[in-house]
Amino acid sequence: MYDVLIIGAGPAGLSAAIAAREWNLNVLVIDEFLKPGGRLLGQLHQEPDGKWWNGIEESKILLEKAKELNTDIRCGISAHTIEKTDHGFSVYTNEGILEAENLLIATGAAESPAPIPGWTLPGVMSIGAAQVMTNVHRVRVGKKGIVVGVNVLSVAIAREMQLAGIDLECMALPAINSATESHGSPKKVMKALLRIAHLAPSTAIRFGSRFMKGDGTKALAVKFFPKSGVKMWGMPIHLRKAVTRINGTNQVESVTICDITADGEIIPGSERNIEVDFVCIAGGLYPLAELAAVIGCPFQYIEELGGHVPVHNEQMETPLEGLFVAGNITGIESAKVARAQGTLAGLSIAKRKGQNLAKLENQIQQAKMNVRTIRENATIQFHPGIEKGRSRMEEAYYDIVHG
Amino acid sequence: MDRIVICRCEEVDLEEIEQTLINYQCSMREIKLRTRAGMGYCGGRTCRPALNAILEKVSGEKQPHQIPLKVQPPVRPVSLGRIGETNYE
Amino acid sequence: MNSHRILDHPVLGKLTIEKEIPFTFDGKKYTGYEGDTIASALLAQGIRTLRVHEESGSPRGIYCNIGHCFECRVTVDGTPGIRACLTELNPDMIIESGKQQFSPFKSTENQDDLPRTYAEFEKQLKGEKEDEPDV
Repeated sequence: MYDVLIIGAGPAGLSAAIAAREWNLNVLVIDEFLKPGGRLLGQLHQEPDGKWWNGIEESKILLEKAKELNTDIRCGISAHTIEKTDHGFSVYTNEGILEAENLLIATGAAESPAPIPGWTLPGVMSIGAAQVMTNVHRVRVGKKGIVVGVNVLSVAIAREMQLAGIDLECMALPAINSATESHGSPKKVMKALLRIAHLAPSTAIRFGSRFMKGDGTKALAVKFFPKSGVKMWGMPIHLRKAVTRINGTNQVESVTICDITADGEIIPGSERNIEVDFVCIAGGLYPLAELAAVIGCPFQYIEELGGHVPVHNEQMETPLEGLFVAGNITGIESAKVARAQGTLAGLSIAKRKGQNLAKLENQIQQAKMNVRTIRENATIQFHPGIEKGRSRMEEAYYDIVHG
Repeated sequence: MDRIVICRCEEVDLEEIEQTLINYQCSMREIKLRTRAGMGYCGGRTCRPALNAILEKVSGEKQPHQIPLKVQPPVRPVSLGRIGETNYE
Repeated sequence: MNSHRILDHPVLGKLTIEKEIPFTFDGKKYTGYEGDTIASALLAQGIRTLRVHEESGSPRGIYCNIGHCFECRVTVDGTPGIRACLTELNPDMIIESGKQQFSPFKSTENQDDLPRTYAEFEKQLKGEKEDEPDV
């Protein structure tokens, strides 16, 4: 019986483990991947101050700290389901049943698809798949490719692929259909893209931000968006072109790309084929909360947080006694926020063990402040309404717990 | 029109899902039962967000707080041998 | 061999290869590196098709690379359903791609397909009713 079982050895899970070990809790961390670090492993971007955020190095720092504290971390373990017991939780895994008094689910996020014709062909993969191949396994996913879907994540990863010497033709939107609507509308995409304008050495995107005050002018910004796209690090980003089809017999051979209106409608006669041997699909991230769902944790649908999120409070507690959540499962934000949330969750769990409460309470308050500060100063923000989403969750928690 | 596969495991396409939603005005569970979308090997882990988006678009209603299609354990495929093992502890 | 490796990286530096790992895929011999998953070792060789859809035979490769989509499932040393993206490559692994399965209940061309889903069943039923001659 562990004091706490942590599912997910990413930035949130590892930070939580460190905090809990510092309070001498009996901790086990499990992860499905073969090494700890989670999606942090693949991250590689330049901060506005010029320094590199290297996910592999950041993971190492967390891991070394966890090891110093003799934290038990086991990889290659998949959790199948969870049951509530009289004393805590039973987690059913491919390595048997694990028992713990407290449970922290830090399973991060998964990618939404942006289905277009031909997307089942070998050579088509999610943008996150390409990130892991490029930065973690150091494998080039193809000779020349295209990124379908323009968002914070895909722009960052496209840059990472470029750094690794992978040839990207361009980034464009997926053809609009009822499953891809939010990724295929130039207006919606423009709005989201301007949030990362400060990362781009591109005057065209910065220029666009002046149009962003009202909805009417937003349409103007899209209308005047250059036909040739804007260039970020020399790579064209097209908001007025959509990939309508991925072509190939046994694998990707080309894509068909069309000009589109500001609403995403295809302009007839504009189609042309581009030869590529790989395609990255970028449909954005959503909180991966299936394990919280099977154990009966209540949910809230909050768009600003990325979709359905298990109900939790600022201390990372859910309404289910002993069940905690941290990281992207609570809403899509940067790894830095996840790390800070993990620390907070670890401390909140320590509080349940009830030792040296005054000192602990002080640390919890500091950890809470830390999450807020990091959120406010985030360079990459996945959703502009993140604060609003967070307070809506807080309200939902109190409604559910205190009725 | 090119075929757009939504559920990769069971090769269920967008047209079939949209038509079923329109014809039967049905829930996500019913879509799953009628078309097999989300019922394949991966357990709907890939197409779930797309199915939710399609439902939102066709019904014109925002997603409810309750997850539209119940998440069923096990969340990963488990072999019967694995479940039946006596040393599964 | 391993021609798709990123050997030099401006930020991450040179790729350090600790150990080579031999394995076979569909009977052919290959070499991966220590730390590889089955998926990364195969992709480094330019191998993209890991299986075909059991029923339609459409080719599939890695998609999510984080163990959710199960598109990359292969048979490893006789055990089917192993996710190539999450499984560490071990020496002398025998890896086999997923093959098309017989569909005994599927009719051949030029015959009416049996319904695959309830919706199809209803559609066919309606069609048959319409075709019935008036008595």
